[in-house]
Amino acid sequence: MSEATLYFIQQLINGLTIGSAYALIAIGYTMVYGIIGMINFAHGEIYMIGAYTALIAITGLATLGIAWLPLILIVALVCAMIVSSAMGWAVERVAYRPVRGRHRLIPLISAIGMSIFLQNYVHLAQGSRNIGFPLLIDGGIQFGSEATFQAQISYMQITVFLTTLVCMTLLSLFISRSRIGRACRAVSQDLGMANLLGIDTNRIISATFVIGAALAAVAGLLLGMYYGSIDPLFGFIAGLKAFTAAVLGGIGSIPGAMLGGLILGVSESMTSGYLSGEYKDVVSFGLLILILLFKPTGLLGKPEVEKI
Amino acid sequence: MAAHNLKHALFCAFITVIISYPILGLNLIAQGTSVTLEGATTATVVNVFLAAVAVFLFQLFRDNIMGVFGRVPNLNPLAKRGPVSQEKRLLMERVFFVAIILLALVWPFIVSRGAVDLATLVLIYIMLALGLNVVVGLAGLLDLGYVAFYAVGAYTFALLSQYFGISFWLALPIGALLAALFGFVLGFPVLRLRGDYLAIVTLGFGEIIRILLNNWTTLTGGPNGIGGIPDPTLFGMEFGRRVKEEGNVSFHETFGIAYSGEHKVIFLYLIALVLAIFTLLVIRRFMRMPVGRAWEALREDEIAARSLGMSRTAVKLSAFTIGAFFAGFAGTVFASKQGFISPESFVFLESAIILAIVVLGGMGSQVGVILAAIAVTILPELAREFSEYRMLIFGAAMVLMMVWRPQGLLPMRRIQIELKEQG
Amino acid sequence: MRISVKKLATAVSTSVALMAAGQAAAEIKIGIAGPMTGPVAQYGDMQFSGARMAIEQINANGGVMGEELVAVEYDDVCDPKQAVTVANSMVNDGVSFVVGHLCSSSTQPASDIYEDEGILMITPASTSPDITERGYELVFRTIGLDSMQGPVAANYIAAQNPDRVAVVHDKQQYGEGIATAVRDTLKDKGIEIAMFEGITAGAKDFSSLISKLKQADVDYVYYGGYHPELGLILRQAQQAGLDAKFMGPEGVGNKDINTIAGEAAEGLLVTLPPSFDQKAENQALVEAFKEKGEDPSGPFVLTSYTAVQLVAEGIEEAQSTDPFEVAEALRSGTFQTPIGTVEYDQKGDLKSFEFVVYEWHSDGSKTPLN
Repeated sequence: MSEATLYFIQQLINGLTIGSAYALIAIGYTMVYGIIGMINFAHGEIYMIGAYTALIAITGLATLGIAWLPLILIVALVCAMIVSSAMGWAVERVAYRPVRGRHRLIPLISAIGMSIFLQNYVHLAQGSRNIGFPLLIDGGIQFGSEATFQAQISYMQITVFLTTLVCMTLLSLFISRSRIGRACRAVSQDLGMANLLGIDTNRIISATFVIGAALAAVAGLLLGMYYGSIDPLFGFIAGLKAFTAAVLGGIGSIPGAMLGGLILGVSESMTSGYLSGEYKDVVSFGLLILILLFKPTGLLGKPEVEKI
Repeated sequence: MAAHNLKHALFCAFITVIISYPILGLNLIAQGTSVTLEGATTATVVNVFLAAVAVFLFQLFRDNIMGVFGRVPNLNPLAKRGPVSQEKRLLMERVFFVAIILLALVWPFIVSRGAVDLATLVLIYIMLALGLNVVVGLAGLLDLGYVAFYAVGAYTFALLSQYFGISFWLALPIGALLAALFGFVLGFPVLRLRGDYLAIVTLGFGEIIRILLNNWTTLTGGPNGIGGIPDPTLFGMEFGRRVKEEGNVSFHETFGIAYSGEHKVIFLYLIALVLAIFTLLVIRRFMRMPVGRAWEALREDEIAARSLGMSRTAVKLSAFTIGAFFAGFAGTVFASKQGFISPESFVFLESAIILAIVVLGGMGSQVGVILAAIAVTILPELAREFSEYRMLIFGAAMVLMMVWRPQGLLPMRRIQIELKEQG
Repeated sequence: MRISVKKLATAVSTSVALMAAGQAAAEIKIGIAGPMTGPVAQYGDMQFSGARMAIEQINANGGVMGEELVAVEYDDVCDPKQAVTVANSMVNDGVSFVVGHLCSSSTQPASDIYEDEGILMITPASTSPDITERGYELVFRTIGLDSMQGPVAANYIAAQNPDRVAVVHDKQQYGEGIATAVRDTLKDKGIEIAMFEGITAGAKDFSSLISKLKQADVDYVYYGGYHPELGLILRQAQQAGLDAKFMGPEGVGNKDINTIAGEAAEGLLVTLPPSFDQKAENQALVEAFKEKGEDPSGPFVLTSYTAVQLVAEGIEEAQSTDPFEVAEALRSGTFQTPIGTVEYDQKGDLKSFEFVVYEWHSDGSKTPLN
């Protein structure tokens, strides 16, 4: 393979890694939007809290002298998922349920307020510094000759891909097979009707928030390890990106979130790789605007029918 | 019921511990070159558990507590009043505006310089919020990138003065018109998007403008921003200690009084006041013109409005353009007040704060928006002792306001008959 | 109506001035402005701790001209808008001497107001050359400029005879300023700049940038910016097998970079002001900080201490609390301070401020290279 090809493959790998993590976060936006039609601006903060909890768990285990990697990862993952899910549940209860059904700006402002609140909560409790994640998964597979350009896929990147793949498969199965999943689909099609048919819609909405938060926690652990550091503000930026991904793919659609995440990730890495990193946000937002202009409901979104 | 309550209360208390203990109670401390975990002080842990107990008790006796709250007569006497007649409401608003303008006129002469400066900032936010109120409150278009037009206004003045030496008074209309042009050009393609798609596109647009300003170093100075923006002059009189521009004279020498830095601050304040009043009156006039009615009609029911032959694009575009125009206005004043601008003044949080002002004030209501702009700008200044907790409180207040008084401080009321909606 | 309003205005301003003068007779107020909150609060802490210590020690030695120094502290969050509000409050509170601000983007708009209102300002941390370029009388600093630090780094890199160098920065005033100075000096020396590119401050994923650096096959990477981003770049570069030497300005040289980069921080080159806290003549002062439980090793602690000391000595020298006379005294005098011998040029910049190239180690220590 020529050097240019290898370089392209390398940038593709970089983009797909980051894109699949965006997709995991985007699921939370898209599911909540699909069911109650609100943008959960605080979702990025849930992801950030997941990353913090994971780091707290990892550091705690290290203090206890436990060094067996699978155990550390599983404990960190479980802790992060529990805390994030509880946070997602509580946020819905406190900030969103009381304002449900009001003018659509009301939940949005409530969510922006919640996002500011959670950022500062973690900031006050844990400080504003960037804290490093320990290096747990090292190394990678090289290909290409050492003399020209050597592309590499690191084990960490493989971990991100595989985990995302597993999560997405489980989620699809859960949504299509389980009772709660069926109820979720019913509620997202018609909340009032589902209610009439005896579905406890409040519970389903809570469940949606919990599932979204748990996936965000997975992304928090993965990206914390992949990037190498976390800070109280990093949830907001990632949240914005993931939300863009969700809209790009068609908000409300789970495959759409996956597709949107990957497109966004690849377009970002290609922009940094071939143009300049300064313009990667311009390109991703520009791409979003362009796609929405031609397909106003996103790539895989259902065209909306206005009912009178 | 009691058993159900108990179970729920226990669950809530448990969740409280889960979401607060790990973050508050276990602190990641960078020690030398490694990160260690430190338990928080006993006080923090005790507080976490006290919070859990409080949540438990509240949930357990929620019905009783809510019952008691329900019996307390509503403390806000205004809340229960019926809609007042159109004439009376207009009269009341007029009295309010006259009173607040009178207060605003004497304000700079009774308070200190810092307070005048803060009041100028309040006026800038009032202009912004009144402008955004047209877009969000009246036309119902969710705009999360309003700060972009503010930036266009500010940078227009800064660049014109830097490259062509154009004064504040000439730059003011140019900045506003250019911002309006941006609003028009952006609005044209995106306004056919529905609600939340519009929100994300405007958000993206706001970010794109900021990043471009940051990256285009040769023109805008990039992150260094643009400094040395001149202050406004009064018929060629400058307010600085020394005259900076040739041909101008200084204010204090003309009038033979001692130089005082206060003059400049007060003059800028008065300009901002005049422009804010201008904004208020123009938008008030628009609201009563057919186009203003059309905005509201489209917000209430787009399909019905279109069936009546309204052009959706024209109506939305007019709201978007007019909103952008006033943001450009505010931007020019801001640049002049600061004397230095850089892209970091135009971040997303700024858009969110302006939006929060509009919603807190009561969408569509000008009186409410003015009160909210004052509250949102001044409260953080008063809460300087809590400086660390300032943003935390700000976020919590936004949530609580939405939960308890979602219609805002003073919602816009019109006489109307409502059918009780079946939820 | 107009005349009465104007009279009122004059009356109010005179009374404010009188009030300020009345207070100044009893004590001398030193305004300290910097970020107490926000993302760079940790640098603000350094500034406040240094300035407080200087005020305490000067007061313990009998104050200035028999009067006590009083610290008035302000939080500007490193936000230009709040910096202007803070500057106006200073005018309000009758402050005539300011130690601050920290971020260049805050210092610049605030200094406009100070200059107009006759307030003397010494910034202990802002390195942007623009601040002293405007011919102001009352603006000083106790730190070097980006335009001094950049060439030191560039000369070092050039001396190693690299084939290709990449210069990366974080698109902020500080980072881009230094990076530009480095690039220009390197170009003058005829060294090939393979890349000059910005990143987004606060970003976390640098895999694309690193692949690009790898493809460009650079020997040296100069990064203008702060430690959170460089820490990640170092770490991700080591992961991706990028074999290049990294170098950065004093904004990256603190121990936090080790918690982020871990082993990858070994061998990083940093230009820093000489560690003033290691100097023999400062040991008593360092002890005083340690007694209070504070760390004197941060880059802005002793520069802030010096700023306060210069205000005090300037007042003594001028035998006046008039800021213009104090400024004159500072320009003409020579002062012995913890950061060395201080002399000012006409612009208010230090005549000499030394930067040293250090090699950073993965345990957070550093060794000087030249």
